[in-house]
Amino acid sequence: MSQEATAPAPPSEAALALEYAIPPRQRFNPLRWVRREPFGAFGLLLIIIVAVGAAFAPLLFTTDPQQFGTGPPLSGPCLGCSSGDMEHRAWNETVEWREHRLFGTTPRGRDLWSRVLYGGRVSLKIGVATVLVGTLAGTVIALLSAYAGGVVDFAVGRLADMIIAIPGILLALTLHTAIGSDLPDLPGLSSGEFTLVLAISAFFLPGTYRIMRGMVLELREAQYVESAQVVGASNFRIMWRHIAPNMFGLMIVITSISLPAAILTEASLSFLGLGVERGTPSWGADLSGDSRQFFTQGWWLAIFPGLALSMTVFGFNIFGDSLRDTLDPRLRGRI
Amino acid sequence: MTGYIIRRLIAVPFMLLGISFILFMLLYVRPGSAAFAVVGSVMTDPEAQARFEEKFGLNDPWYEQYGTWLWNLVSTGSFGDRLTPPQDSVTGKLIEALPNTIEIGLLTIVIAAIFGISVGVLSAIRRNSVLDYITRGVTIAGLSIPNFWIALLLVTLPAGWWGWSPFAFEWTSFTQDPFRNLYYAVWPAMVLALASAAGTARLVRTSMLEVFYSDYVRTARSKGLRERSVVWSHVFRNSLIPVITLIGLQTGAVLGGVVLAELIFGIPGLGRLTYDAVIAQDYPLVLGSIMIFSLVFILVTLAVDILYTVVDPRIRY
Repeated sequence: MSQEATAPAPPSEAALALEYAIPPRQRFNPLRWVRREPFGAFGLLLIIIVAVGAAFAPLLFTTDPQQFGTGPPLSGPCLGCSSGDMEHRAWNETVEWREHRLFGTTPRGRDLWSRVLYGGRVSLKIGVATVLVGTLAGTVIALLSAYAGGVVDFAVGRLADMIIAIPGILLALTLHTAIGSDLPDLPGLSSGEFTLVLAISAFFLPGTYRIMRGMVLELREAQYVESAQVVGASNFRIMWRHIAPNMFGLMIVITSISLPAAILTEASLSFLGLGVERGTPSWGADLSGDSRQFFTQGWWLAIFPGLALSMTVFGFNIFGDSLRDTLDPRLRGRI
Repeated sequence: MTGYIIRRLIAVPFMLLGISFILFMLLYVRPGSAAFAVVGSVMTDPEAQARFEEKFGLNDPWYEQYGTWLWNLVSTGSFGDRLTPPQDSVTGKLIEALPNTIEIGLLTIVIAAIFGISVGVLSAIRRNSVLDYITRGVTIAGLSIPNFWIALLLVTLPAGWWGWSPFAFEWTSFTQDPFRNLYYAVWPAMVLALASAAGTARLVRTSMLEVFYSDYVRTARSKGLRERSVVWSHVFRNSLIPVITLIGLQTGAVLGGVVLAELIFGIPGLGRLTYDAVIAQDYPLVLGSIMIFSLVFILVTLAVDILYTVVDPRIRY
C-alpha cells in the first residue's frame, strides 16, 4: 500500500554548476524596460519631445522669439491665416506676418510658438546646469567633510542645517541680488543665467550633501575600503577610486529627481521678474507681468507656456521615479 | 527625551545666529549697494545721502554694522529700521504680516494632510484597481503642475470670463472678519496644498504597501482580525512615520510657495513683504523677514522630531 519513499537523487554536477553559475550579465534591453516601466518610458518620451523642440527650434517653423510684429497683436492660434498681411513698422520697412501662428501671438505681436520652443532652451539649460553644479558640489563637499570628520564635518553639517532652514526661493532671491550682475559671461551661459544657476543650485546643495554624506559613511565601512586601507592606499585614492564610483548611481538618481524642481524654481524666479534678462523667452517670464493682464483676452497666453512647463516637469518626474526604482529600489520613499 | 528637546531648543538661537550672519554677509557686503540704491532713487542730493548713510551706519565696517544689528536684536528685540521711507520699525512690519502667512501655511498643511492621507490610504487599499491608477496619475500630475500657474489662472480667468471671482474684495484679516478671511484664504491654501497633498498621497500609498506585506500584518490577519482593524490599527499607524517626515519636509516647500501665492493673490503677508523688500533693496527688512521664515521652519522641524516619538515609541532620543 505504502509507496516506497525514494530519497531525492543527489543533484548532478552539471545541475549544480548550472545553479551556482554566475548568470551572464544581461544586456540592457530597451523594449523590456519600456514594458516594465511604462510610466518611465512615457516620461522619457515627453522629455525627448521637449528636448527636440528646444534643440531644433530654428527648424521647427519658428521665428526670432524676440521679434515684435510677427503677426497682429493678440491674435489667436491659427494655421494658414492672413498670409500676405503686412505690418508697416516704419515708412520704409514692412514686416510680413507669419502664415502659421500655431500658438497665437503676444500682446505685442511676438510669436508664442517660437517663444515656447526657445523658452525650452532656457529652462533645460538652466535646469541641467543648476543640477550639475548642485549635485557635483554637494557630492564633493560630502566626500571631503565625511572624510575629514571631527570639527570640519560638524561645521559643514550645521552650515547645511542653516541653509536648509531658509526657504529655497527666498535664498535664491537673496543670492540673486547679492551676486548681482558681476559674473562674467560663460560660453553658452550669459552672465544673468550664470547668476541664476548659482542662486538656484544653493537650493539643492545642502540636501544633496546630507544624502551623500550618509552614503559616504556607509561606504567607508565596506570591506573593500578596509582592504584598500590595509594595503596602504592613501585617503585620496580611496575616496577617488573606491568610494566615488560607488556613489555614481545615487548621483544620477538625485540629479534626475532634482531636475524638475530646478526647472520649476527657474520658472518661479523668472515669473517674479528676477530670472533671465527681460525679453528672453522663458516659460516663467512669459506668464508674468505684461502678458498676465491679457490672459482673459487671449487664453493662449495663459495656457501654452504653463502647459509646456508642466509637461516638462511631469516628464522628468515620472522618468526620475522609474530611474530611481530601476537603479536603487531602496531609495523609494526616501528621496 | 526631555534632555533631547532641551538640547535642540538650545541649538535654535545658535542656528539663527548663523543664519543671520550668512544673510548679513550676503546682503551687506555687496559693495556700494544699499545707500546708493535707496537714496539714489529718492534724492540726488549728496548731502542727504551722507546724512542717510550716517543715520543707518552704512559707512561703518561690516563687523560694526553686524554687531550693532545683533546687539539691538538681543537687547531690545528690534530688527532695526527700514531703509525705505517711512523708515519705520522692521519688527512692526513683521508682526503685522506674520499672522497672515502662518494662517495660509497652516491651512495648506491641514488641507494637504487630509486629502493626501485619505487618497493615499484609498489607493493602497484598492491597489492596482482602476481607482488606484487614476489617483496615481493625478497625483504625479499634481506634483508637476507649477502652483503659481494654477494660482494665476484662478485669479485671472474666472474674473474675466464670468465676471465672478472669490477675490473681488480686499484681503481682510482674521480678527476683522473671520468668515470673509477664511473664504479668501482657503483658495491660496488649496492651490498650495495640491502639490503637498499629491506628494503625501504617493508616500502614504508606498509606505502602506510596504507594511501590508510585513510579518506582523500576516499574523494579525491569521489571528482572524477584521480587515478594517488590520488596516487602521496595524498598517496605517505604522506607515505614518515617513509621512510625518514628509509633512515636516514640505514645510520648507510650503513656506516657499507662500511667497508666490501671497504675491499672486495679493495677501499682505511675510512673503510679499520679503519680495517687496528685496526689490526695494531694503536690507534690514529682508534680513528680518527671512529670519522669521527660518525660525518658523526650525520650530516646525523640531515639532516633527518630537512627534516621531509619539507615533513610534521605538524611537528614543
